[in-house]
Amino acid sequence: MYDYIIIGAGIIGTCIAREMSRFEVKVLVVDKEPDVANHQTIANSAIIHSGHDPHEETLKAKLCVEGNALFDVLEKELDIPLLRTGGMIVAMGDVQEHVLEDLYKRALANQVKAVRISGDEARAREPRLSKRITKALLVPTTKVTYPWEVAFACMENAIHNGAELRLNSTVTEVVKQATGFTVTLNGKDVVKTRHVISAAGVFSDQIAAMIEQKPLYRITPRKGEYFVLDRKVKGFVDHVIYPVPNDKGKGVLLIPQVHGNLLVGPTSIYIDDREDLSSTASGLAQVRRDAMSLADDIPFDKTIRTFAGIRATSTHEDFFIAESKEVEGFYHVAGIDSPGLTAAPAIARYLITIIRARHTLVEKPGFDPIRKKKPSFHSLPDLEKAAWLDKDSRHGNLVCKCEKITEAEIIAAIHGPLGHDTIKGIKKRARAGSGLCQGGYCEGAVLKLIARERHKPLETVNYYHPDTPILVKETKVTS
Amino acid sequence: MKTDMLVIGGGAAGLAAALAAADPRYKIMVIEREPMLGGILNQCIHNGFGLHVFKEELTGPEYATRYVDAFLAKGIDYLVDTTVIDIEKTDDDFVVTVSGRETGLKTITSRALILASGCYERTRGSITLTGDRPKGIMPAGSAQRYLNMDGYLVGERVFILGSGDIGLIMARRMTLEGANVLGVAEIMPYSNGLTRNIVQCLHDFDIPLYLSHTVTLIEGRQRLEAVTIQAVDDHFQPIPGTEKRFEVDTLLLSVGLIPDVTLFDSLKLTISPVTRSAVVNQFLETSVEGLFVCGNALHVHDLVDYVSDESHKAGLNAKAYLERQDKVARDEHAIIVADHIRYVVPQMLDFSRLDAPVELMFRTTRKAEQAVFKLVQDNQVIKEKKARYVAPAEMEKMMLDPQDLTGRGPVTLYMEVVKP
Repeated sequence: MYDYIIIGAGIIGTCIAREMSRFEVKVLVVDKEPDVANHQTIANSAIIHSGHDPHEETLKAKLCVEGNALFDVLEKELDIPLLRTGGMIVAMGDVQEHVLEDLYKRALANQVKAVRISGDEARAREPRLSKRITKALLVPTTKVTYPWEVAFACMENAIHNGAELRLNSTVTEVVKQATGFTVTLNGKDVVKTRHVISAAGVFSDQIAAMIEQKPLYRITPRKGEYFVLDRKVKGFVDHVIYPVPNDKGKGVLLIPQVHGNLLVGPTSIYIDDREDLSSTASGLAQVRRDAMSLADDIPFDKTIRTFAGIRATSTHEDFFIAESKEVEGFYHVAGIDSPGLTAAPAIARYLITIIRARHTLVEKPGFDPIRKKKPSFHSLPDLEKAAWLDKDSRHGNLVCKCEKITEAEIIAAIHGPLGHDTIKGIKKRARAGSGLCQGGYCEGAVLKLIARERHKPLETVNYYHPDTPILVKETKVTS
Repeated sequence: MKTDMLVIGGGAAGLAAALAAADPRYKIMVIEREPMLGGILNQCIHNGFGLHVFKEELTGPEYATRYVDAFLAKGIDYLVDTTVIDIEKTDDDFVVTVSGRETGLKTITSRALILASGCYERTRGSITLTGDRPKGIMPAGSAQRYLNMDGYLVGERVFILGSGDIGLIMARRMTLEGANVLGVAEIMPYSNGLTRNIVQCLHDFDIPLYLSHTVTLIEGRQRLEAVTIQAVDDHFQPIPGTEKRFEVDTLLLSVGLIPDVTLFDSLKLTISPVTRSAVVNQFLETSVEGLFVCGNALHVHDLVDYVSDESHKAGLNAKAYLERQDKVARDEHAIIVADHIRYVVPQMLDFSRLDAPVELMFRTTRKAEQAVFKLVQDNQVIKEKKARYVAPAEMEKMMLDPQDLTGRGPVTLYMEVVKP
């Protein structure tokens, strides 16, 4: 029997798993997806917000500010990428300046460092910004990360400290038993646990409905669309640029990414379908239009892809983190929309304090908070490169030429602690195919490496989900 | 390692350049990232290559073999399975970093450098298709490689977006391998492929070509299930009510090729926003002295024969650069493109060394049944050339003789439409 089953291996579930792995408890993380970090966590703005925006006294404000600081700790312990960009919220004209002033007061109330500057001062720092900007607010603690790598790092570290993970496992039933719960996976595998933590993102109300008569919230998913611009535009802006927020949220932003790309988006559209990750002409047109008011000549011709993500906004408005009022031992971590990524490590700690108020959690003496990431070969100084090459000639074989990823790095992603055997799984881990040609050149090479390393026939290597092979039929077969 | 001339790319362009430059006085080396020489020709197993250069019709691998054999016979050095990862320019040399499993990590210095790195395909991301984002959408050239090099079909019910030549060739190729190709949509009112490919790859196989149509909806969460196409108006906006839906598992994209010049990122040179490659003068030399570009890395050609011709010149010019003792004081002026001309290569004329005829290669922005290309200098037409069946998909050529010029002023190229 497990002590805790965590439903959802996104940034929230993996952060909770890592925090739980500090204690003498048996933890299992389950996810319906073929990989860790595959829904909100892989499609969002990647920003570690300062906490200037959420209304004071909310959990969002408290956990955002705490989470922002905790990311500095994660950077040290888990070797995750963090780009200290700072943020700049820009206002155009009187009405927006009033909103900016409110935001400034809110930042101070949330104990977030913020500085008011003029439009000219804003342009002195960011020359590409529009001439129409009259005032701006600088929030120096804003950062950017690589969200799914944070989830990988947390999950790897949790596994290293004893947690377990099951992918491709959809929760189909949760039943309260005399002691604890039974959780059914894919309609057939029944797993027993003392407690259930639901971190199921956009599906959390569906999970809640399996166990509660009257769930206290409903998920009202909102879709956001983005453009990803090529690394060549690095330096177009150095800060995360926000417009003043409106009733729909933070608006369309310009977001420098850790690998040099620029993200532009998102929209904010309520949708019914929780897995509608489609790109729409109207959504993308809106991103362009809104972004153009922030800065002149945004190089949309350098777009390498577009994508959409879904936020698990709930009717509760604030984060909903609590033990079920109906069923003891069932914990909700729901309604985690922005600033969910920022807050994630603080959410995990907050949940633990809730649990510890009623249960004893004994710290594990051997807990190891450290996860080391191998540096990328092509980021090494020349002398080190030579030494690495002597040990492993596969570093010489450049597979993804856009992002400079070597055969050795792809093999590490295939066999690593959270190794994967799909094209997208390798892209998420090693970045092969994330560059300008979007895998046009390296996809076939990656496919062959997966087949070779995992001893699979070529036509069984999937793009990602089960039954999505790249190669569907061998030709010239003699029977 | 030190060389006199380094050629990046061992395909049609790199081989022709190296062959033209071959000279016992100079150490030349070709770098190829694939395990064998020949480049993209190796996967182009259809015929239609060589009509201009060899006056006979060859397949891609046959065409490549002619050049590879000649290249090997000359004993020119080369490295395969080796990728160039960085180029730096010092005062006199280029310092090129290469990487390969056998090669390891090496730097090679070279006095002259020829970039013949070909082109890459535009992807789904760069054209922003709307709808779901399933697996099953890929550039036509990738599907060609999987089919012709690896022996696998990537799908069995196929639609093709864009009428570029690779898409047309793949429509026929996949049909021959048993796939069902339901149609080709082209957003322009004319095809972007060669006429012969429209006839031989679509008409002969009854595959419909939907001109002024584009894909407006992708359906399928994990694997592609259907695409919807719509007619577009003069502003390329979809016209409501014209939707046609095709249930397919594969959408091939043949929506354009872009010169692969990512290696230029570290060099300070002038890039043309139209060709998306370096601006060159009549010697195919960039604004960086000693750096030459040719083939599809310079601008995308319709025929490999033209790639070979152009690269032969680049090779000879690079050799002349090695032979030259003194620095040249360039006197460069742009060839201005006006009415109905999209781009011209070379973009610059160096008047300080304009002593031989210059072949201008250019593309138009529109179709015309009859047209006249005109070169103007000092408000005076200095040369004209009549043409029939002009189309953006077909590269045009025109010779500019130094004697035609009235002086060192700017030259303008434009097209006059005689019959649309």
